[in-house]
Amino acid sequence: MNKYLSKIIFRLLFSFVVFVSIFILVQRSLTPESFGKYGHYRANSIEDNKIQTSFFKGEAECASCHEDLYDLKDSDLHSEISCESCHTPKIDVTTECKEMPPVVEGNIELCALCHATNPGRLKKGVPQLDFIEHKEGKNCIECHNPHAPWELTE
Amino acid sequence: MYAFAKPIELLAQSKDTDLKEDKTDQSLWGMGVDLESCIGCGKCAEACKIENNVPKEPFYFRTWVEQYTVKNDGEVKIESPNGGIGGLKQSVPTEDIFKSFMVPKLCNHCSEAPCVQACPVGATFISPDGVVLVDESYCIGCSYCIQACPYGARYMNPYTKVVDKCTFCYHRINDGLEPACVEVCPTNARIFGDLRDKKSDLVKFLQKNPTQVLKPHLNTSSRVFYNGLSSEVK
Amino acid sequence: MEQHFQHLFEALSQVDGYIYPNEIDLHWGLMIVLYPYITGLVAGAFILASLERVFNIKVLKPTYGLALLTALAFLVVATLPLVSHLQNPLRSYEIFMTPNPTSAMAIFGFVYLWYLMAVLLLEIWFDYRRDFVIWSKESKGFKKIFYKIITLGINDTDENSVKLDDKIGYFITVLGIPSAFLLHGYVGFIFGSIKANPWWSTVLMPVIFLFSAMVSGIALVMVIYMVVSWIRKVKIDMDCLDTIAKYLFYILIIDFTLESLDQIHRIYEAEESFDIIKVLVSGKLNITLLFMQVIFGTIIPLSVIGFFQIYKPSEKIRKVSYFLTGIFVLIGIFFMRWNVVIGGQLFSKSLSGFTSFNAVYYGMEGYIMTAVWLILPLLILTFLLWLMPPWKKIS
Repeated sequence: MNKYLSKIIFRLLFSFVVFVSIFILVQRSLTPESFGKYGHYRANSIEDNKIQTSFFKGEAECASCHEDLYDLKDSDLHSEISCESCHTPKIDVTTECKEMPPVVEGNIELCALCHATNPGRLKKGVPQLDFIEHKEGKNCIECHNPHAPWELTE
Repeated sequence: MYAFAKPIELLAQSKDTDLKEDKTDQSLWGMGVDLESCIGCGKCAEACKIENNVPKEPFYFRTWVEQYTVKNDGEVKIESPNGGIGGLKQSVPTEDIFKSFMVPKLCNHCSEAPCVQACPVGATFISPDGVVLVDESYCIGCSYCIQACPYGARYMNPYTKVVDKCTFCYHRINDGLEPACVEVCPTNARIFGDLRDKKSDLVKFLQKNPTQVLKPHLNTSSRVFYNGLSSEVK
Repeated sequence: MEQHFQHLFEALSQVDGYIYPNEIDLHWGLMIVLYPYITGLVAGAFILASLERVFNIKVLKPTYGLALLTALAFLVVATLPLVSHLQNPLRSYEIFMTPNPTSAMAIFGFVYLWYLMAVLLLEIWFDYRRDFVIWSKESKGFKKIFYKIITLGINDTDENSVKLDDKIGYFITVLGIPSAFLLHGYVGFIFGSIKANPWWSTVLMPVIFLFSAMVSGIALVMVIYMVVSWIRKVKIDMDCLDTIAKYLFYILIIDFTLESLDQIHRIYEAEESFDIIKVLVSGKLNITLLFMQVIFGTIIPLSVIGFFQIYKPSEKIRKVSYFLTGIFVLIGIFFMRWNVVIGGQLFSKSLSGFTSFNAVYYGMEGYIMTAVWLILPLLILTFLLWLMPPWKKIS
């Protein structure tokens, strides 16, 4: 019986050890290199996540060329609003605004995003109006300079 | 009812941002949302979609704006058509409205993120500077993290076949830029900053206002702080 | 992609109330309903086998080998719906390479491997070892080669070796019971540990999963025993069948008690999520929960088998009743998994709205694929029964 028992233990245990060893070897080789450096994740992913094209450049970029417009905006009530808030960058082909200028169509829909009446906007410091009541739905920029809204052209 | 926002020092010592190497000038990013300023124009949601290539089909959002309308009879109506892109409009007659407000939502980058806890392979993690990120080359697409997130911030990107979510525009903030949503907000309702920088706008925002987090009972140590969070907000 | 977005637009029209925008699509579908179902069958079949082996309920001997082979056949298929559900199945090896110690799901790879190799295969090997040696001498062709290899070159057939086989097999079965509990219990924990989802997040979830698994596994072996006996044109051992049904009855009572306790607790505490869960259960889950799972899958089987404990009708009536009850229970437990997995995703985490589950027929997540994954183990079982027939064992 001892011989039988030892046969069993030897052969089964042997195959088990072989399996575990192969498993550990495979695990070592397939685990990505930077894994575990900062935590249970691939540390190189931190840098990978930083690689992405930025479409919004930031106000400073716009101001570097369009200084006069920027100063005008700064002088009136839209000063807190970033240029790109209304001038959404166009991203179809390139992010260079010289090649794809973020021209925006100045229509009521754009102004209505902030200025249309909505009870949820009360007391937030943003003037609201009913556009039909105001000037029968006339395009806002016919009277208001979007970069200096209280400079009225009448 | 709202969590006492953990002192900033405590948050900064959260075990998930401890590094194995010493980095004493490590940032800890967070965001403040001023609900007394948000006008629901939807520009943040739109900018995020553009900046981050979020699938254009209007059902996946990294950030969105909800409109809450509390009626006089007590009923609360919540809506977020197209995530708020195109501006939130009110369809309930004004005379029936008790109060109404807008709430931007995004990934809360929890210091004790249930999504990071749940990921079976380690494909989502908290970076040393406190941003919850996804390793796109490692995610197996099991969606367990999506089930674990209490805020509905994560989604399965049908094109890349990995899980996607707000990354605080990680590709921007390390270059000194602000996240796209913060950049375009016309009323400065979103305040982004370094919780460890005593001079940052975010820290000043936290000091000045009584802030709350979403679902504080779940103890996720959320790092998105709301000012003026009303009890109706889900 | 077209199909996917058309589906999303349809889903939008089926949204009720307010859901977080990203919740519009259910992320876990039929495949994830299937996985706990199949591992549950495995765990349950194994527990039935262990009743004979460890608890010495000798009357169950006719189903011992059958239960083990059933467990094996279903275990082999268990991973397949899971891997097919992944968005990146080719990366699934990562669960073995870098399992996250905080994730319940990461346990999967190791528990599965451990249970398959260390428990189930070993137990079957020790149980059949002597028969393999004898069969290898008597048979021809493929069978002969298979038997020879599987004996690993150990050809002892004397009394002592058989006694040792028995002892080791007993020891493995004892190890196997908690292993089976772990194999299926962790699945319950996967759901029970998600604090974000109030339908899933309950302490009772692993226990409920476990007991419903045992119920389904026992019912499965009962049905298969009857079918195999009918195919072989062999008389069914009614004592054995009555005993299986009795254990099914006892464990079904425990399962029903646990599930009822869960619901009563929910109703009593009526905390934040209760309002929407109430609407969920009485609305979208009305048929699958109240009718299919409770009435069809629990109350009717309990009543029938319970009645038999008091008054035993004729053998023929009992056979038909057991067969039908077994099928009812199997269907009922399938719907229990459905109600947990799909029910938990039908309502929004905003607790203010519902979305819909659009099941499809074709494709990797469809009804047809579900049927394939359920029929495949039966085919494998047929093969195993041909290869290692339990009734041909030399006792």
